Amino acid sequence: MGFAGNGDGLLRRYVDDVPVAMYTIIRNIHLLVASFSLPFLIMYGISAVQMSHSSWFQVKPAVTEREVSLAPGQADARTVSREIMNRQPGMKGELSNVQSTDAGLTLRIVVPGTVREVRYDRASGVARIKTSTAGVMGMLNRLHHWAGFWHEPASMKTWAVFVAVVSLGLLIVGASGIYMWFTRRPERRIGMALLAVNLAFAITILTLLRTSGP
Amino acid sequence: MRNLVIKLHIYAGLLTFSQLMLFGVAGLVATAQTAAERPKIPHTVRYVPFTATPGATDKQVADDVYKTLRLPLTRPMPDWFLRRTAENDLLLDFYNINGIFRVIVLEREGRLRIEEIRNSAGLFLGDMHAVTIGDDEAPRLMRVWAFYNEFAIWCLLAFCVSGVYLWLTAQARSWWAWASLATGTACFAAMWMTFR
Repeated sequence: MGFAGNGDGLLRRYVDDVPVAMYTIIRNIHLLVASFSLPFLIMYGISAVQMSHSSWFQVKPAVTEREVSLAPGQADARTVSREIMNRQPGMKGELSNVQSTDAGLTLRIVVPGTVREVRYDRASGVARIKTSTAGVMGMLNRLHHWAGFWHEPASMKTWAVFVAVVSLGLLIVGASGIYMWFTRRPERRIGMALLAVNLAFAITILTLLRTSGP
Repeated sequence: MRNLVIKLHIYAGLLTFSQLMLFGVAGLVATAQTAAERPKIPHTVRYVPFTATPGATDKQVADDVYKTLRLPLTRPMPDWFLRRTAENDLLLDFYNINGIFRVIVLEREGRLRIEEIRNSAGLFLGDMHAVTIGDDEAPRLMRVWAFYNEFAIWCLLAFCVSGVYLWLTAQARSWWAWASLATGTACFAAMWMTFR
């Protein structure tokens, strides 16, 4: 009995030339990585369909506005955003799009799916906050685009870890899938043709595009 | 039924293998980026003679430049994308899947300065994964790639369904696979709730 519980005899009907133990290990890796990545891959797949067919979906965010009183006379956007986050614990995120105006400051506090546009009036200390909250599809869209360890908040760095793990997982699932396919006699010939078509197409198009400047 | 699903799972996987690998690479490239902004350092600079039509608007000049240079895999400049340099020269960024042709219209000198900004191979692959059929005006080669990408996206979703089916109809459904699925789902749900 193999690790996943399939009988050796059943596997031997399909698998050729490789030890069944090796096949079982690779299959288990395929299953383990794919099952962990499943919710992330569904998110990437659905949001990719949304981006490709934007007219099929409604991604208009819900917008609310409010005012918060802060200390007047501040010139540093980081101080303003920190004060907002301290007074409004639900408002957290990454500071971006900072601009200095005659009246004060404009800035954004961003997390995936929620953008808070802040207009801070230096004279009165009032911050007008316009919050745009994405629905489910908008949230999936934003998560799809969110990656990288350069983001400051810990939650975004954690998300970046999952993006890296799932991306690496996709490569592992692909490589293990290739191994499992090749060990299966019945699918080998047709599979070779399909893989050749895909590789020929991809290499040709990528080469043509990459050599088209700049 | 199970045998048919296995075959479809395998064949569709082989037919979209390059795209799936590209999706994985794109995620790693995005992870490795150190800032939202991409480097914009030109690797070559060249000059081309050009005389702007007197009295022409910036948009008309941009269209003339586009027709004159015929830069590969670019498209006409939309008027909302027209900018000027600090010296008040018209600045035109013609985007290409490999980077940017940055054209500065030096009207007083009667020539164009063309800076070629080339993206790294990683960024190129990252951009290739994002090509969709939603962009009707993309160059033909990009459109062809977009249709294959579209097919791969649907296949990716189908793999999620068929993969679960194959797992659940296997002779044994090991506890560690359930644990892995539960861990992945919990991680995703936790991140979702953190951001909400």
